[in-house]
This record gives sequence, C-alpha cells and structure tokens, in this order.
Amino acid sequence: MAKIKTIKINGLRGVREPLTLDLNKKSILVYGDNGTGKSSVTDSFEWFFYDKIEHLSNEEIGRRKGRDALRNIFIPETEDSFIELTFDENKLDSKKSIDNSLKTFNSNETDDFKKFIASSFSERLILRYRDLVQFIIAGKTDKLKELQNIIGFSEVQNIRDLLKRNGARIARNIKSANYDNLKNVQQCTILENLGQNAYTDEQLFDGANKLIKPLKLEIEIKSRQDINTVLKKIESKEDSELLNQINFYTKIKESVAQIEGNVDNINNSYSTFYDSFNALKKDPEKVKNLQLLSLLQEGKSVLTKDVVEDDYCPLCQQEKSKIDLLQDLNLRIEELELLEKEKEKVVSNSKDLQNTIKPNISAIEGLLTEKLFGKEDYKELKETVEEIKNSLNNHLDESKKELTEKLSDKEKIKFAKKEIEELTSELVKTIKKLTESKEANLKFKTYTKLFQSAKAYVEYLKIEKEQNVLANQQATFELLYEDFIKRQEEALNVFLEMFSNDINDFYTTMNPNEKVEDIKLVPLKKNNELVGITIEYSFFNETHTPPIAYLSESHINCLGLSFFLASVRAFNKESKFFVLDDVISSFDRSHRYRFAQLLTTKFSDFQVILLTHEKEFFELVSSEVKSKGWILNNFKWTKDNGTGIERGIADIKDRIKKKIEDKNTDGLGNDIRVYAERVMKRVALEMEAKVAYRNNDINEKRMAPELLDAVQSKLTKASKELKEKANIPKIKGMPMFIGNTTSHDNSFQESIEDLEAIWEDVKGLIHNFYCSDCDKFLSLKFYDNVENKIRCGCGNLKFDWKK
Amino acid sequence: MDNQIKSGKDVIDEFFAEILNVEGTDESTVNKLIELYGDNKFTDSNIQNALEELKQEAIKPKKIKEDGKN
Repeated sequence: MAKIKTIKINGLRGVREPLTLDLNKKSILVYGDNGTGKSSVTDSFEWFFYDKIEHLSNEEIGRRKGRDALRNIFIPETEDSFIELTFDENKLDSKKSIDNSLKTFNSNETDDFKKFIASSFSERLILRYRDLVQFIIAGKTDKLKELQNIIGFSEVQNIRDLLKRNGARIARNIKSANYDNLKNVQQCTILENLGQNAYTDEQLFDGANKLIKPLKLEIEIKSRQDINTVLKKIESKEDSELLNQINFYTKIKESVAQIEGNVDNINNSYSTFYDSFNALKKDPEKVKNLQLLSLLQEGKSVLTKDVVEDDYCPLCQQEKSKIDLLQDLNLRIEELELLEKEKEKVVSNSKDLQNTIKPNISAIEGLLTEKLFGKEDYKELKETVEEIKNSLNNHLDESKKELTEKLSDKEKIKFAKKEIEELTSELVKTIKKLTESKEANLKFKTYTKLFQSAKAYVEYLKIEKEQNVLANQQATFELLYEDFIKRQEEALNVFLEMFSNDINDFYTTMNPNEKVEDIKLVPLKKNNELVGITIEYSFFNETHTPPIAYLSESHINCLGLSFFLASVRAFNKESKFFVLDDVISSFDRSHRYRFAQLLTTKFSDFQVILLTHEKEFFELVSSEVKSKGWILNNFKWTKDNGTGIERGIADIKDRIKKKIEDKNTDGLGNDIRVYAERVMKRVALEMEAKVAYRNNDINEKRMAPELLDAVQSKLTKASKELKEKANIPKIKGMPMFIGNTTSHDNSFQESIEDLEAIWEDVKGLIHNFYCSDCDKFLSLKFYDNVENKIRCGCGNLKFDWKK
Repeated sequence: MDNQIKSGKDVIDEFFAEILNVEGTDESTVNKLIELYGDNKFTDSNIQNALEELKQEAIKPKKIKEDGKN
C-alpha cells in the first residue's frame, strides 16, 4: 500500500508560489488560520485522485467538475498549474497539470498508475468539515444521504436518484402526451374514410379492398406498397388543389380533435393546480413563511458552502458558532418542511398542467404555418384556431404565476368543450363536403378516402410505437431501480454489520467512561424501501434512538468520524493515507485530545494529513503527535505567494543568500524586510524594548519601522555606545522599510546592487546584537551587574547599559 | 449477491455488470445506460438525450421492402 513522500503544488486554488510538503511517508499536522489555504491542499488532492472538486462542481462556479475554479487567478497564462505527488513506490509518482485552456495532463500514464487512480475511487481519502456538519445537522431521511457521503456511497445515492427520477419523468411524459387520445383521433379519421377501424395491417387492407371494389381495378391490396400502387393508379393531377384543401382541413380537424380529447385533462389539471395554489395562498402566514423559508435555505447553503468561514452570523454580524447557526437554521427549515411539501405540490401541479398543454400548443403553432392560412378565404378559420391557441397560452401563463399573484377563476378560464366539439364536427362536415363535391368522380372520392385512411393508419402506428417505447423505458427504469436499491441496502447492511465493532471501538475511544455503547444504524423504511436511517445505541443499558436527544454535537461529530475511519479501514486497499480537513471544529477539548490519540494509536499504520484552523487544537495535540513521529507545519497566506509554509529565520536567510548569488531580485527586498523584522522582534524582546500592546495574533505582526523605533528609543535611554554603533536611522530610511508589511505599495525599483548593499547593512546592524560564537542575542538575561553591561551568552559581545 | 464488503464503486460497478440480467427490461435502453456509465456520462441530461434518441430511432419510418411488406 502506498504512502506519500512529497506533495508539491503550484498555481492551484490559493497556492500561487510552489508549496512543498516533504512528508517522507510520515503523518503531518498542519495549522493554518482560516483563509491560509489549507483547503487548497485538500482541493488539489481531490482533483489529483478524483479529477473533480465536488464542492466546486455546481452551476454557480462552473460545471466542469470544478476545473474552472482550479487555477490560481494570478498564475501567468503561460504557466501550467500542477500538483505533483511522489510515493514510496516510485512507479506511482505523477504530476497532474492544468493549463490556461483548462486542459489537463498527467505525467504518469502507466497502467500501474491508472490502476492506482482507479482503485482510489473505491477508497476513502478525504473527509472535510462540511461533510461532518451536514451529517450532524441532517434530519432522519437526510442522515442516510450524509452518512453515505462520509463512507463513500454518495455516488450510489446519486445513481439511485437518477434511476428513480428518470422513471418518474417518463411516466409523467406518457401521461401528459395522452397517447390514447392521439391514437383515437387517427382511428376516427380511418373510420370516417374507410367505414371501419384499422388497428392492424389486415384490417387496413380489408377496408381498403372494400373501398376500391367499385373501381374494379383487378388489384387486391395485400401490403402497404399495394396501397401506394392503387393511389398512383387512380391519382388525378387536375384534382390536386382540391386534395390540398382536404388535407389542410384534415390536419386542422386532427389537431382540434386532439385538443378536444384533451380538454377534460386540461380543465382537470387547471382545477387541481388552482385548488392547491389557492389553498396555500389562503393563509397569508404561509406565504410569508415560504418567503422566509427561501431565505433560511439560502442561508444554510451559504454556510455549508463555506462562503462564511468564521463563527458569526452573516446577516446580523453577531458572533455565533457556525454549527449552532446551521442547527438553528435546520430546525426552522424542518418546522417549515410541511409547508415546503405543500409548495412542492403546487409546483408539481403547475408542471403537470404545462406538460398537458404544451403538445397542443406545438400542434396549433404547426398548423398556423400552413400556406392556405395566408389566403383571405381562410381568415375566419385562422382566427378561430388562434383563439384556441390564445386560450391554451392563457392556461400556460396562469401555471407560471407566483404565489403573490392572483389566478384567473376556474370557471372563467375553463375550456368550452362544446365549442371545440362543434368546431371538430364542422371540420368533419367540410371535409366530407369537399370529398363528396365530385360525387360523380368515384376515383377521386376513393383516392381521397384511401389516402387519408392510409396516412392516419401510419400515424396511428407511429403513436403506438412511441407509446410502447416509452412504456418499455419506464418499466426498465422501475425494474432497475428496484434491483439497485436492493444492492444498496445490502451493501450498507454488510458494511454496518462488519464494521460496527470498529465504529463502536473508535467512538468509545473518543468517549471513554461514557455509558454509550452498542452503536448501530437502524434502517427506516417506507413501503418496504430504505428511505433513511437512524442511529441506535445503548445508554445505561437502555436502547435509545434517535441520537439528538442524548448526544451532543461533539458526540455526533465523533460518530461521523468513526464511520469515516471505519470506511478507511474497510475500503483503502492501495492507499495507506487519508486527509482530514478541519474535522474537529465541533469537538470540545476532551474529545480533541482523544481524537488525536485515536489517530496515533489505532491508525499508526496509516499516513494521516490532518489540517486544522484551530490553534488551540494544534497546540493541544502537537506534542502528542510529534512524539509519534508526525511532522508539524504552519500555513500562512500572503498576497505575494498565496498559500505557503511559515518559514523559520534560517530558511529566509538561505533564500536571501541564494537570490543574491543568482542575482535574482524577485521578492528579494521583501525577504530582507521579513528577515529584518523577525530579527528585530527578537532584539526588542531580549532588551525589553517596549511596543504598544495589541490583541492576540496581531501582537505577533510587528512591522520593521515600529520595531526599529522601539529599539532606537530603548538604546537612547540605555546605551549610547550601542546606539551609535547600530545606526538604526540609516536602516530605517531604506526603501523597503518605508512601506507596510507587504511592500506592495512601495514604488522603489531595486537593482541587485542596491539590494546587495542593503543586505550588507542589515547584516551589519544585526551583527551588533547577535553573537555568532555562542549563537545568542544580546539579552538582559545575561546582564553584567558588575560592569553594567548588556551581553550575549558567552560575553564576547557586550555594551554599556543603563538599567 | 454475496456477503462481501463492497465500496460504493463496487456496488455501482456490479450493478452495471449484471444489469442485463434484470428480467423484463428493454435491452436497447439497458445497453445505452451501460454505454453512458462506461463513458462516465451517466447524468440526467445525457440519459434524457439518449432515451430520446432511442425513441426517435424506434419510431423512424422504415422503408417498405421490395415484397411490399414493412
């Protein structure tokens, strides 16, 4: 099983400059404040293995599996962004890059690597804070979904939903198309022309033979080809205009007849929609609450998508734990769930109405493009057809109204079936009249009737075929869904049965001496179908469910983590590592420490990448994990480089030396400033130079001019000798110390010569405060009370000092 | 179905490997679903488009054969 040697990221998400984590197969604990880019590591990692970033794969950010938001926005267009992972097994090493056109490349194209990546789809490599939060706040039915997300079954749920949704969609389409009505319209045409129905070829041929008998053609129709032969034989070009007229009226009659057969459906659909719409609208409180519900749901979405990262309410700006906020929102959303269901019913009724009307509108729109409608003779008929279309459109417009609007009264908008029936009947009469207008011409009459009935029969078969295809598709999806949910339920049950001991073990390790035990999941079923789960456990030897009543947020967080860790044990066959991104945010102090112990004892064989934004947690468990061989890192974020690792003074000094050697001025001035700040902070500390107090971490962030002033002021009082030697005003006047922390607002364009000179001066300044013999700074800790001198550890460096 | 521990991916892979054995299903629909899953395109819109294509293919008028039969 593979462990990671190094992770190198460049130009992905918040990482602008190359970020390297040398893990050498060891676990790592990384601290980084919110916004320092810890999640950039997780996102890059997710992209490397799964080729997508789930939380970025939505419509707002981009549909291309999060790729649109993958590249750091400051990375030059010509530069590829990448993540490079090396493993203990070299054959798996790979660099995955994405260029400016969002094309991606993998440097390793071997079968071994492809197999490794494919296997990761079965493994659990990443758990994020948001996955746990969703699990904690989810209601009973959503808990199943969120649990599946934690143990890697989210895709299973997606497939299940897709099968169900498509089966239901096809069923709706069949209903709204009203195929029986469409078939009936064609059979009416056949009946009118042939004098009998034709559901099969034989029935059609039988009717056709009877029809052509008076013509004594000496042809017996045995196929549809024979019908064409007869039609050709009796066709008369002189009659084409009349035939066009008949076809035109037949088309209109068929479309109107379709609407006639659908009128009851339209009226009933509108009535259902109207009643549900007004029932909801009747209570103004409901309408208000629905508007509130939208706000609450949007708020929940904002919080779960980490748009707001810190613990405060984005509306009132008051401090509040994010989890508490989400739980409150969820409770209020659950309270309004019944209302939501009522609203969903209205929306569904509205869609049913639209689906019932739309095919009729399309048919009418098709009719209105007929050439004959352009002639004056058909003006009145055209207006009648347009009226029908307007009436259909009125229904459609009503179906799209918001709850704040008023619907037209049912009776007022109702389709008058009688009028449609009269129109159909009128059209049938007209067709008959036209057909009979050449009564003496038996050929023409026969031709028209045979032509219309053959055409209607072909259309009938087409409609029936379409109906059958959809019915088969619907049945297929329903059967597949049935099969799939059995598999899903079985797999979940096997996982829970086989790993309930592990889950229990992990949970009780984090919660010793608590009387919660025998934790298991209990399926919730509706109509014999798994619709959710609840968690059952024994509390003081009594079985309890659901958990919310007795378990705190921390406990449910523990449960979520236990499920994830059990799934790591169950499914990670190739990868001996996993990432935990901020997963302890809902933990109280005691749980945090025991969680670290759980990882170091029960997962010592795994490589853990543990990211946290909680300094307290980092400090609490640092010694525990370090004693077990873990690496510790701090992340920082800067405007220049994006996410990076907080470097020690020695690192910066080496970097400065290297840049001077390479004559590389890029960021050199900034490095010198940062170095000087770090050293001067130490100098100020050792000689007790006072700076203004600031709260918390800001106290750590002192800029060079402030520190130099403080030291200068101290020297003025305590040591004239050192003050003159150090010559702080010279350093303070240097360009890079005039700007603020980032030096971005500093217009000074440094040449390498300038920077070399400045570096020499900074080194010279520091040389006055630091002794390289004993590696110690001048400090009041080493104050010589006899000689009244401040000195270094060995005494080689000392100056007069007035206390 | 055996009593082996299965990951989410195992469940889905097995389902698609054995999907043709589900009785009473339409073969062309099932084959299309297998194809979409294999191409990593098993999404709502792709399924809808594929089903529409199958429907259009099925209702497309067939040429009348020489003997006049359809």
